[in-house]
Amino acid sequence: MQQLKQFWVAEALEKDLGDPGNPNSMMSFKQVMDLDEKEEFPDEIIDWLYNWKLQHYYIPTECGGEFTGFDEFISFVRVLSRRDQTAGIAFTTMFWSYLVWMAGTEEQKQNLASFMKDNNGTMCLAYSEKAHGSDLLGGDMKATKVEGGYLMTGEKWPINRATRSGVSFVLAQTDPAGGPRSLSLFMVEKSKIDPAKYSNLPKILTHGIRGSDMSGIKFDHCFIPDAMRLGAEGTGLELALKGFQITRALCAAFSQGAADTALRTTLKFALGRKLYGKTVFDMPQPRRTLTDAFLDILICDCCTYGVGRGFSTVPEQISAWSAVVKYFVTTTLETVVNNVSVVLGSRFYMREAHDWGIFQKVLRDNAIISMFDGSSIVNLHALLLQLRQLTKSRARNAGKNLEALSTRLSTTFDLTQTLPAFDGKKLELVNRGGDDVLQGLELAIASLEKLKSDSNLNPDTLYQIITFTEIMREELNSLDVEITESTFQFGHEQEPEFFDMARKYCVLHAAAACVYTWIYNRNHLGEFFANGEWLALSLRRLMLNLKPAKALPGRIDDSGVTQEMIRLYNEDRMFSIVPFQLAKSQLEETSTDASPKLQLQT
Amino acid sequence: MNSVDTIQSWLVNQIATQLKIGPETIKVTEPLTRYGLDSIDSVTIVGDMEDWLDAELPSTLLWDYPTIAKAAQYLVDEVGVSPEETATPQPAAASQAKAEAPAGKGWGGLWNKISGS
Ligand SMILES: Cc1cc2nc3c(=O)[nH]c(=O)nc-3n(C[C@H](O)[C@H](O)[C@H](O)COP(=O)(O)OP(=O)(O)OC[C@H]3O[C@@H](n4cnc5c(N)ncnc54)[C@H](O)[C@@H]3O)c2cc1C
Repeated sequence: MQQLKQFWVAEALEKDLGDPGNPNSMMSFKQVMDLDEKEEFPDEIIDWLYNWKLQHYYIPTECGGEFTGFDEFISFVRVLSRRDQTAGIAFTTMFWSYLVWMAGTEEQKQNLASFMKDNNGTMCLAYSEKAHGSDLLGGDMKATKVEGGYLMTGEKWPINRATRSGVSFVLAQTDPAGGPRSLSLFMVEKSKIDPAKYSNLPKILTHGIRGSDMSGIKFDHCFIPDAMRLGAEGTGLELALKGFQITRALCAAFSQGAADTALRTTLKFALGRKLYGKTVFDMPQPRRTLTDAFLDILICDCCTYGVGRGFSTVPEQISAWSAVVKYFVTTTLETVVNNVSVVLGSRFYMREAHDWGIFQKVLRDNAIISMFDGSSIVNLHALLLQLRQLTKSRARNAGKNLEALSTRLSTTFDLTQTLPAFDGKKLELVNRGGDDVLQGLELAIASLEKLKSDSNLNPDTLYQIITFTEIMREELNSLDVEITESTFQFGHEQEPEFFDMARKYCVLHAAAACVYTWIYNRNHLGEFFANGEWLALSLRRLMLNLKPAKALPGRIDDSGVTQEMIRLYNEDRMFSIVPFQLAKSQLEETSTDASPKLQLQT
Repeated sequence: MNSVDTIQSWLVNQIATQLKIGPETIKVTEPLTRYGLDSIDSVTIVGDMEDWLDAELPSTLLWDYPTIAKAAQYLVDEVGVSPEETATPQPAAASQAKAEAPAGKGWGGLWNKISGS
């Protein structure tokens, strides 16, 4: 078994779900494709997961569950998502329970925990309205105060699991005067309200996640008792925005599961398919595409585990980190899926031809991740509004409290360190105290310099890592100047250039996250991880976003990275910096799916 | 000017500049949303106030005290800030490297004023 405890749940779940390539296992590609064809909700899968008691891992230990940290959570969501994002997303609507763990009364917490654990209960998040989309304050849902509660009137749409959920988290206007304190959040327990006063809207047909219960919910003067309000009246927007910091960051796990399957099934094809007397994989161009996809997954891994652990170590900074991750990881992995589709050739477009056509389902399902729970643009907007403060704190904190900064970074990025318990009350609407990840670049460079005396490291690889990190520092400095010189205004009419600045910020944050992940885990994630070639190549990929190839050191030999990818494929391990064990694939396969397990010929 | 007045005029100037409207059109007793200041903007503005006053403030300050008059009064009565004494220029930060930003427009111009450069 994995030494790192936070991966145990994911490994156990994998083992019990079994090989997705075996049609008889739970969440097999065959099963999920059949359901998708029929646009049927995955009831059997969801029941299986409840019986497995996965829902306990969504409930913090102090509320009677098993949740201990977001890195553990991210890993098992990847497991679900690599098999089926439809079921993964359906089950994981439970992560909105965080609103209650954060702001609920003891009674509300107990209620919800027992609803999840004992009644296989589920929730939905009802924020969006047809007419208002991302504009939460513009909503028309009203909750008018009456004796002992509120009368709720209005419609929420499109809402995932609106029809099947027993609890809806509804954002409604409690103060007709408007303004940021005009909204309140309700945990509406459907079993306790008048069924004549609310109804569910018809299923919405979607391009991907076709089996989902996509619908809406409508209230008509429905009495909602005070006990169902979360937090004080008027705190709805604040709570919603803080809750998004959690769910947005965690959305990255959906994309990572999808990217894993896209790469794995394409590799299977490339290794088995013969053309011109050799395999597709033997051709340098497809091999490079796949290797780069693997690198992108590793980069995203560093960001996602970074924010997952950052929730516990620097909750006050997460408003920036979660926007970075929701934007960067989901869009990067969407591109990965698109890039590898080229290698899969015509089969990427077929619904039956290869591995039951799972690839085209991944492509369709995954396309929603960067859009829902705050689109890429909305996340960049959330970040760009903070850029000036981030730049100022970077200047203000430069060279100060380095010891504390270094401790925070090592607790965040060293996967062997125990995390303090997450406290949702410490989340802040805007970043406080700067962004440790970019603040620590100087420290990172100093640590890298010290590694020059490490005889186990290839000096060329280290030279590249240091050079790229120095380039990051230069780019960050010039971005700081750009931000300081900028003349942006409040409001929603931001210039497109500011979105570009926010994008650059995301790339730099991601690159720095990779550097720390390496520095702090070199001694415990195995030889491939430690030798750092993956890091040098990853940093080069990231810097290509900011600079032309000519301005960067040349690409080092990537055959070690390719070999590792093949090893993980052959051994059924997650494509990840922590390649935990997946269910073992069975060897007997149909002739059309034949794929000899090849060793890389180098 | 007393502390309340100083804070009020800082906020009036700040908001007028950000929203490109004349300071004389802003009434300190009107809710800020009336001038088109978005909810998240009013969180962001608190960051600038913190820099100016060198004090940590609740980020929802302008949500809970939604007029300039109420916010200024709260800052003086409850937080106990006195801007005359604390309004020292901030370190010039990354701004040394920059050219003059277009004066009077947006955050760039504002930053020039705050940093005294
Ligand atoms: C499959 C699926 C599942 C969903 N599940 C849920 C759910 O469970 N609960 C829920 O509440 N909602 C859910 N939604 C709704 C989703 O959150 C909204 O679709 C989303 O908020 C965007 O709203 P909109 O589509 O109306 O676009 P709009 O908000 O109307 O946006 C339109 C355009 O304006 C741009 N824009 C918006 N804001 C900005 C900005 N600040 N700066 C610059 N440009 C901007 C957008 O990029 C876009 O181009 C789901 C949607 C889908 C498709």
